[in-house]
Amino acid sequence: MDLAGTAPTGVSPVGARPARRPHLRRIRSLARAHEHHLWVAGGRAAALVPLVALALTMVVLAWKAWPAARVNGLHFLVASTWKPGSTYGAVTRTDGVAHPVGASYGAWPVIAGTLESSLIAIVIAVPVSIGAAFALTERLGGWLAGVLRTAIEILAGVPSVIIGLWGALTLGPLLANDVYPVIARNMPDLPALRFFKGPVGHGEGLATSGIVLALMIIPIIASTTRTLFAQVPALPKEGGEALGMTDWEVSRRITMPWVRAGIVGAAVLGLARALGETIAVAMVSGSLLNTVAPNLYGTMGTIAATLVTQLDSAFVDGTGFEVRTLAELAVVLVVVLLLVNTAARLIVRRAGGIAAPVGTGA
Amino acid sequence: MPFISPRYRDRVDRDDRTVGPGIEVTSGPGRSEVDLVLEAMDPDGVRPAEAIAARNLSLCFADKHIVSEVSVGFPRGTITALIGPTGCGKSTFLRTLNRMNDRVPGFARQGDVVLDGESIWAPSQDLLNLRRRVGMVFQRPNPFPMSIRDNVVAGVRAHRIAKGKQLDVVAEERLRQVGLWDAVKDRLGDSPFRLSGGQQQLLCLARALAVGPEVLLLDEPTSSLDPISTELVEELLRSLTPALTLILVTHNLGQARRTSQHTMFLYQGRLVEHGPTQDLFERPKDPDTLHYVTGRIG
Repeated sequence: MDLAGTAPTGVSPVGARPARRPHLRRIRSLARAHEHHLWVAGGRAAALVPLVALALTMVVLAWKAWPAARVNGLHFLVASTWKPGSTYGAVTRTDGVAHPVGASYGAWPVIAGTLESSLIAIVIAVPVSIGAAFALTERLGGWLAGVLRTAIEILAGVPSVIIGLWGALTLGPLLANDVYPVIARNMPDLPALRFFKGPVGHGEGLATSGIVLALMIIPIIASTTRTLFAQVPALPKEGGEALGMTDWEVSRRITMPWVRAGIVGAAVLGLARALGETIAVAMVSGSLLNTVAPNLYGTMGTIAATLVTQLDSAFVDGTGFEVRTLAELAVVLVVVLLLVNTAARLIVRRAGGIAAPVGTGA
Repeated sequence: MPFISPRYRDRVDRDDRTVGPGIEVTSGPGRSEVDLVLEAMDPDGVRPAEAIAARNLSLCFADKHIVSEVSVGFPRGTITALIGPTGCGKSTFLRTLNRMNDRVPGFARQGDVVLDGESIWAPSQDLLNLRRRVGMVFQRPNPFPMSIRDNVVAGVRAHRIAKGKQLDVVAEERLRQVGLWDAVKDRLGDSPFRLSGGQQQLLCLARALAVGPEVLLLDEPTSSLDPISTELVEELLRSLTPALTLILVTHNLGQARRTSQHTMFLYQGRLVEHGPTQDLFERPKDPDTLHYVTGRIG
């Protein structure tokens, strides 16, 4: 194959002048001729990296978790016990898997806690974020927008441990003293609203976790949504204005639908973060392992927080069974995340039906 | 018209008598059909002959003069073409007529625009209703992110002119009017972004017509369309008079000649010449006009 037209003798086709370093030249010309294939191969390899990383994580986790899953059974998903058993005492075997006598695990409280706290977070964060993004791009001008944008960026960069500390020391007590009692007192005493009534605790629990999580995901959703709003072309909005729509109608009927699919995506990004957030929740949740919070203010735990708070004591279990159980819990979290992601994709597909994808249309 | 809210019954009835099939026009000696239609729209003869008029209008953005002291009237029921080289202030002038520039930072104006004898900036003037009466079609099609049907009735909904099943009637009527009905009747629920550019622009016209405007501002409505769509749009525009008063900004001098009765030539923010289209193109009074229409400036 003589792709560059270079004669095999190393003589340049232009004239009698011999080419310098003919081998290098030849390699280079071959590389140029096949550049396209290099790009494709390189791109494929790069695309595979995250996939392989995900697969490896899952395999290692599943490998670790499998013996525990066999012993704990499906019961693990619905039971509300977290008993390591006598970790210094006798060891017994179930299906050939060694574990301390009396070990019994059920993750329902932390699964419920994860879902509940993230639900609270997303319910608070989505409207606030959309409002903030909307104000930034459509309503506020000049320095005020700059201040708000900077605040959001700074909030996004605050380490979660600091937000957790603030939540535990300041926000939690404040809410428990001044806010929760008001809600609990004024909520009508209907069976459907019983969840909002009852003892309000001392600031560690479900509501505080949800609010702290909301604070952490607002910057994510708001900055993504702000970018989306900024991409909506001016022409359709002007069209609405020229038709005699109010600003609100233009926002509601044109700007928002234009980026609806993207907003759902941003919310899912935030939700995934909330489901997996660890340390801040560990600091404000009360870290309860075996009870589902009786009301909005009760102490609880989440999967991620449980992993970090229980790991240390899990190593005490000489059979390694508790560590394996934590791995199983981690698998549950990953599955929850995958389910949420899939559900979100379905929503996006439906929501994106008529609305224009960003960048098309006018 | 059962689907018209009382608030607009007057308005739409009047429009309908002229646009719809029920126009009774009896020709007489010395009176054109146009005269008769205009008379039918305004039986008492109380409306000014000019639907909309600029009076000594000057416009600037941040101390930069865009339009200087333009006084011009747009006769009711006619098409006026607004021509001039890029940057002469055509679009700024046009957008001012339904107050689209009001909120642009640095925008300032002197002089006035009167619609049916009343200033468009008069405190009694309701901005939303003003925009309903003075509609606008843009350079490029700008469908909203909603179904084809919802696009047509978007303004009708916003102004509470009709609701529920009546919206379907409005949608069909307006899509028929712009000649789009047969093409889209089986996919009214689909996205408008899959239509061709020309169809999208017709849809935008249907949307603008649906709220029953009196004046329609057209900012180079065919500049992004192919010749066949352009011809369709031009034909449609001609069919809208004399029920509506049209002001058509265009770079296409042929289009100005084909569609308009009057033409105004703006050059460097000044109204250089204004008159019947034929006169302006064939016997321009001003040397700049002559240069522009013969292609020597522009």
